[in-house]
Amino acid sequence: MARSIIDGYETYGTPDELFDERGELRPAYRELAAALRGWSPERYEERQERADLALLSAGITFNVYSEEQGTERIFPFSLIPRIVDGAEWRTIDAGLRQRLKALNLFLLDLYGEQRILREKIIPAEVALGSPGYKPEMAGYEPPLGVYAHVAGCDLVRGERGGMVVLEDNLRTPSGVSYVLENRTVMLRVAPDLFPRRRVRAVDDYPNQLLATLLAARPPACTGAPRAVLLTPGVYNSAYFEHSFLGKRTGLTLVEGSDLLVDSDDTVYLRSTSGLERVDVIYRRIDDDYLDPLVYRPDSLLGVPGLMRACLAGTVTLANAPGAGVADDKVVYRWAPEIIRFYLGEEAILPNVETFAAVIPAELDHIRAHARELVLKPANASGGYGVLIGPQASEAELEATLARIEAEPRDWIAQPLVEFSSIPTFEGGTLKPRRADLRPFVLSGDEPWVIPGGLTRVALREGSYVVNSSQGGGSKDTWVLGGEGD
Amino acid sequence: MLSRVAENLYWLGRYVERTENIARMAIVEHEASLEGAGNVGGIWDSLIHATAADEVFEAARAESPDLTDSEFLLLSMLNPGSLRATFARARELARGLREYISREVWEEMNGLYLFLAYRKQFVAGDVHELCTETQRRTATILGLFDNTVLRDEGREWFRCGMYLERADMTSRIVDAKYHILLPPADAVGGPFDRFQWIAVLRSASAREAYQRTDRGEVEGPLVAELLIFSRDFPRSLSFCLQALQRHYQQATAETPKRRRARAARHLGILNLDMDAGDVEQVIDEGLHEFLDDFQARLIDVDRSITEDIFRAAPFHPELAAAAEGGR
Repeated sequence: MARSIIDGYETYGTPDELFDERGELRPAYRELAAALRGWSPERYEERQERADLALLSAGITFNVYSEEQGTERIFPFSLIPRIVDGAEWRTIDAGLRQRLKALNLFLLDLYGEQRILREKIIPAEVALGSPGYKPEMAGYEPPLGVYAHVAGCDLVRGERGGMVVLEDNLRTPSGVSYVLENRTVMLRVAPDLFPRRRVRAVDDYPNQLLATLLAARPPACTGAPRAVLLTPGVYNSAYFEHSFLGKRTGLTLVEGSDLLVDSDDTVYLRSTSGLERVDVIYRRIDDDYLDPLVYRPDSLLGVPGLMRACLAGTVTLANAPGAGVADDKVVYRWAPEIIRFYLGEEAILPNVETFAAVIPAELDHIRAHARELVLKPANASGGYGVLIGPQASEAELEATLARIEAEPRDWIAQPLVEFSSIPTFEGGTLKPRRADLRPFVLSGDEPWVIPGGLTRVALREGSYVVNSSQGGGSKDTWVLGGEGD
Repeated sequence: MLSRVAENLYWLGRYVERTENIARMAIVEHEASLEGAGNVGGIWDSLIHATAADEVFEAARAESPDLTDSEFLLLSMLNPGSLRATFARARELARGLREYISREVWEEMNGLYLFLAYRKQFVAGDVHELCTETQRRTATILGLFDNTVLRDEGREWFRCGMYLERADMTSRIVDAKYHILLPPADAVGGPFDRFQWIAVLRSASAREAYQRTDRGEVEGPLVAELLIFSRDFPRSLSFCLQALQRHYQQATAETPKRRRARAARHLGILNLDMDAGDVEQVIDEGLHEFLDDFQARLIDVDRSITEDIFRAAPFHPELAAAAEGGR
């Protein structure tokens, strides 16, 4: 019999999803491993080709900014899924709901009474010094008390074997469309890998999103609420996701120029029959581009007067401006304290141990142990500016330490997490590649977590960087469970 | 419906229709050139060279000296009027309309876009295959649009764009040959003329329709009559205008009168004039002048729709209701 791609799979010697620390096959992967024994490299390549073609012809692509052909690329997709068993998922689900409940309470408090600052749970300079903190939101009380309606939390499996939170995304997290599309493609090209009736469906997400947005309508809205999705337009790299969500939820996809705020501080949509009132805006543009009258005056993406309407309570923005303060990487350091302060509970999902350079004692620790730490700028995304101590040159380390000394508020440091790898096809066989998991959390009356999430995988050997902008790919994520799970 | 979406659907209809016309004309022109009859009638010239100025062609040639006429006209992205560039605009619009059009329509459009974009090299022998495949796929797009997209206002705008473009294209195809009918016409019906009129019919997908309507031998005035006045042939000016008027009325069923009136008036008068016209009179008074005037009036319709509906200054529904006497 021909060699199968799973034969001879070897882990990095660090945590792995297929094999546990004793080298035993994890039960959740038993059926997958059995199915893969029948997969030769040729079969894998043939299925991969079909998957890539399906993604390309469906136009599930991101833009590479230029005009010539080949400027739209598919996000590399790996057919070997991540599998999470039902019991572990219940912990993740509970942990994420707890976390988002606390973070939303934190936002409401920070823009309201600021009890958490008065009781000195978190240093005021950390919270108020975050670029995500928007002072004009002070006193704003959103419907249901929710600032972050849509969140994505990046989880990894750490050395102790459990899932830990690496970072939160509370502004305009993206990637959920890939979760749904990856599943569609997997069902089409690799049906023989699925254990029968055990993988939980993910396609309830659009319904849940719509329900969450409509629940957040302003109290003044008495008729049928109208919600729209505000996109920067077709040239934005996440445009596919915007149109995908528009289509699946029925939300009208609008650009800034389609909306206007009238003298009654109400938002209207320009339609062929006149102006139509808008109650909820799921905005996929950043705070700084929302309203040229308040933020960047050169922004052509936003709507003049939008902030005025938001503060007057005639329209709900999801997420609310200023929610970004709660996903600041320095504020993250205090997430366990935030959960304890508002809920009186210990965090179900732990943080990665984090040192904030703004705290003198922690800065000393960073100086002394820089070689063993990952140094991260607090407010960059896409993995940019991150320095991995164990892999850095002496000169790089010194330059970064100098930057930290100059701007301690902008930096954190964490031990290098040897997060888990997942088998990934490379050169005719399966190799370990590190991957994270971004489940999406919706907060309406109660938080809801998609059963699964986006698994992003570092495609280069040994790499810890999973970001798509730096050569990462994605995988389908299977949460196992039957009825009642 | 969102004004921007309505306008983009209208242009989507126009560009898809234009793509199909370019492909059809390219086949006719290509085959005629192979049979040694030379340039059969400047259909190609008037349609494509009109959009791509000669300087553009020269500049493109300077960049890649091997560029052939047909490659420039079909696949070059340096030529904004090329088949590929035209369809690329349609597909770019479709990308922005994905939550509106069906997945089937989108995938078919994306497929044609990739078919045109990823062609590694191009030789003369490819013209037929490229153009018939384009025709087949545009027909599939139109069919899928009809059978998978919700029949709401947006679909009516798509159809408006399609019929307006088709009327314009057919009028240009006829116009390319008007000079044969100029008096004094010598030997109308001679073999060379007939060859040219057959090319006109094929350019408008009308050859079989001509033969099925008992018009007998191919003659210029009868060809003009079919392509201008036929009520039954789906590419004639009359047919397209009536369809355009019908779809416009449906698209604007809920549009306030002050927005929809100007284009409706243009369309109404144009349709009445078409009803009253006949081909003998048109030829006597000058076919070219008639077609020129027809095209100018289509531009009026297009401008009225754009200015009054797609890009109208905002106003309040309450004020509009008051202005229309509470309608």
